[in-house]
Amino acid sequence: MHKIFKATAALVLLAAPAFSQSPPIQESTFWASEVQSGNMPPAIDRVPLDPLIVDLEAKGRTLGIQGGTLRTLVSRSKDIRQMVVYGYARLVGYSPDYSLQPDILRDITIEEEQKFTLHLRRGHRWSDGAPFTSADFAYWWENVANNPEITPSGPPEWMTVDGKLGTVTFPDAQTVVFEWASPNPNFLPLLAQARPPFIYRPAHYLKQFHVEFADSNFLVQEILAARVKSWAALHNKRDNMYKFDNPDQPTLQPWLNASGKPTSRNLFVRNPYFHRIDAAGTQLPYIDVVEMTVVGGGLIAAKANAGEVDLQARGLDFRNVAILKKGETDGGNYRTLLWGNGTASQIAIYPNLNFADPVWRDVMRDVRFRRALSLGIDRRMINRALYFGMANEGGMTALARSPLHNPADLKAWSALDIEQGNRLLDEMGLTQRSPNGLRKLPDGRPMEFVIETAGERQEEENALSIITDTWRELGIRLIMRPLNRDIMRSRVYAGTAMAAVWYGWDNGLPRAETSPQYLAPTQQEFFAWPKWGQYYQTMGNFGEEPTMEAPKRLLQLEWDWSHTNDSSKRAEIWAEMLDIHAQQQFAIGILSGAPQPVVVSKRLKNVPDTGIWAYDPGSHFGIHHIDEFYFEDAFMQVSQ
Amino acid sequence: MMILRYAISRFATMLLTLCIVSMLVFVIINLPPGDFLSNQIAELRATGQAEGVAKAEFLRTEYALDRPLWEQYMIWAGFMPGPQGFSGMLQGNFGWSFEFDRPVSEIVGDALWLTVLVNLAAVLFVYVVALPLGVIAAAKSETWVDYTAGFVGYLGLATPNFLLALILFYYGHKYFDLPIGGLMSPVYEGEPMSWSKVQSILVHLIVPTFVIGTSGAAAMMQRLRANMLDELSKPYVETAIAKGMKPSKMLRKYPLRMAFNPFVADIGNLLPSMISGSVLVSVVLGLQTIGPSLLTALKSQDQFLAAFVLMFVALLTLLGTMISDVLLMLLDPRIRLGGRKT
Repeated sequence: MHKIFKATAALVLLAAPAFSQSPPIQESTFWASEVQSGNMPPAIDRVPLDPLIVDLEAKGRTLGIQGGTLRTLVSRSKDIRQMVVYGYARLVGYSPDYSLQPDILRDITIEEEQKFTLHLRRGHRWSDGAPFTSADFAYWWENVANNPEITPSGPPEWMTVDGKLGTVTFPDAQTVVFEWASPNPNFLPLLAQARPPFIYRPAHYLKQFHVEFADSNFLVQEILAARVKSWAALHNKRDNMYKFDNPDQPTLQPWLNASGKPTSRNLFVRNPYFHRIDAAGTQLPYIDVVEMTVVGGGLIAAKANAGEVDLQARGLDFRNVAILKKGETDGGNYRTLLWGNGTASQIAIYPNLNFADPVWRDVMRDVRFRRALSLGIDRRMINRALYFGMANEGGMTALARSPLHNPADLKAWSALDIEQGNRLLDEMGLTQRSPNGLRKLPDGRPMEFVIETAGERQEEENALSIITDTWRELGIRLIMRPLNRDIMRSRVYAGTAMAAVWYGWDNGLPRAETSPQYLAPTQQEFFAWPKWGQYYQTMGNFGEEPTMEAPKRLLQLEWDWSHTNDSSKRAEIWAEMLDIHAQQQFAIGILSGAPQPVVVSKRLKNVPDTGIWAYDPGSHFGIHHIDEFYFEDAFMQVSQ
Repeated sequence: MMILRYAISRFATMLLTLCIVSMLVFVIINLPPGDFLSNQIAELRATGQAEGVAKAEFLRTEYALDRPLWEQYMIWAGFMPGPQGFSGMLQGNFGWSFEFDRPVSEIVGDALWLTVLVNLAAVLFVYVVALPLGVIAAAKSETWVDYTAGFVGYLGLATPNFLLALILFYYGHKYFDLPIGGLMSPVYEGEPMSWSKVQSILVHLIVPTFVIGTSGAAAMMQRLRANMLDELSKPYVETAIAKGMKPSKMLRKYPLRMAFNPFVADIGNLLPSMISGSVLVSVVLGLQTIGPSLLTALKSQDQFLAAFVLMFVALLTLLGTMISDVLLMLLDPRIRLGGRKT
């Protein structure tokens, strides 16, 4: 990986003299009046001295014009955080071929995957015009991550590699150095995530809420007004780089939140200080305003059909394709693209191996039980009923397009075989039956397996009802409990949920260079082992230590992977980890690869026809850079 | 004078009922194990976010969630001083929403009068549709008019609201350019009232009114028809016709009046069913009423928000009943409160 960076570093250096002849920066009409009235410097002074010049033609795209309002819909007011995901301005980010490129950073130099030198752009500014320098990194490191009141658990877990905390130094205003005693290949992918750890914070803004810098009278008033207990709580409340709900907090994203109070119509306007420009000297983003409206989840398809969106994929799923295509043929001014789906499983069931009930926990930890559950699922039927047979049936593993795909893993324990399932359960000694034919747990309770859902996706619930019938033949009753996403998550993390249903791994297209961390018990977000994940994430302060053999082996393999540079060795490690997952059925995958409909206005240009819809890596639209999309008739549109 | 006394006594009963409802609401909301904060604390503990735990603990004491249930109730209702002194429903403080991290009053705000508006429109719709259809169906009973009205009515009763909503949205948009979802164009949200905002609201009201009102209208129509038929078979009708009275005048003057009582009294039944029905419809149609907040609040056990919304719905219902009682009294001289004493 660091070769790529060396190469880009060389390119940047070669290109450096060209900056003096970089295209003349055009003033945007959107901010023109602000500039004229003297509230804002002219565009030439707003972009960094060495901006990121995007070569659109090399990407097969066309140069666009500024202006217009992009309409999109979400179903919860919390979802305004999607603007950080879609905006995808990261220190380093993935390009559409999943290679890492500097983005907010001008350049990065890597020595032995241990020492990372981050070079900032000169003259880069926050969205309020304050300079963005290494001081913002220093504020994060010294006053946030290492402040015991703001982060009582200390610096984030990823700063510690092999038990040793890394160091962060700030040689000058444009340079930040991260250094570890041993290699940390996860560092850059981490910065490129859909939800990255923001290792820089707008110091000039947040200092007013930090007890070491703030005026104490002001602080006391603010604490009372916000109804929080301490200054640290207030600081955390104002510091929402990802939640994006504080319009006062400066940002580096292409659009900034311009809606003051909670409303269903959220407006995001162009960041006047954004660091990307096109080859003609037009500052990106092309689109002036993003209008994100909160509507009932069930209405998104109908509204898309009615032409009320310009770009939409969230809230649409495969079953909506029919109505979308119909609207298109009825003269709708949009196209429906079918993108690939990057999650490893469209639907996956996670028996919670950290469930609080000891009897159930022991049953679920028996691999025979999980295999029997998987054998008792009629994947063909679910595929035909929900996806017109267009998805791929099979367990959760790397998708067919990934170089690490192994068909044997996909097929392991995934064909419907009630007889074998019953045999496995009998072997476990679960032979006692209740009067209505349900198997009994060792302590005599009937086997009623409660699966909690996020209550958002109909396909999950439909699939579970199909599974209910076949599991019944195994002597297990499936009970579905629709909750909402946040409650389901917190119940799983606390060990009070028996099982949950969710997507498979976000990244179904790993390569040997992809960190296999998400396959090992290192994250509570994998619903089969929340407490083992917490144990790792908090370095043993909370959660539980893994006791089963397979998860321990996964941890070991993950450690091995990060301590080798040899890519064939890494591929081998990946293969073994995927095998373990296929054999152990920690998550019972049902099917994968159902196409994701993407509705795009015909007036919107530069949107790729094919792509992968994935949260991480990919940030949904993020890696396709929405800031490069433009309206062909932007000047005809009145932006409100 | 009588009416005033009657109204006052009804009002007193209403307050008492409201008080009892508030207790029930509070107890039922607290029935499921755990509450929003203890769930959150469990999660935060598990993940080691001590800062979050401290905040949750702080809110627990701030809102007296660590006290026994009856004390919590008294404090919430404002009968007893809490950690901030008397500060409950009675004093106009509706509590804090943990889910949204804002005061309840801020969250429901606009939604309150929009809820009233939607339900008022639906009630009007019910009466405007049910009255003529019911009367005609009865007068022309066992003819095609009756059968058609009956068929449409049953269709209205039997179609699930959400389905009706989606169908209406689709065709309404296609042929009449009606907007999909919402109660006003998002542009007007939070704007001061203006003529164009009113227009926008009216246009957005069409589909929701229809969806919420259809089943009520269908039921009301059938009841009116049945009552009318009862009256029409009575001897006085025959006498009137025999004496040469015009059928339309006769219908208006006698049987309709008699059949009217249940029609008015029904407001009391209609309002609660409509309001509870409109909660789900609002979620499906994306209306900015209190429906969606109630649903999320109940799902996440956000108790003060849920309690406030339920109280508001109860208040609307009681108001509806009271209006119907007073109307009945005006309408029908046979109903008198004092009558029982003599």
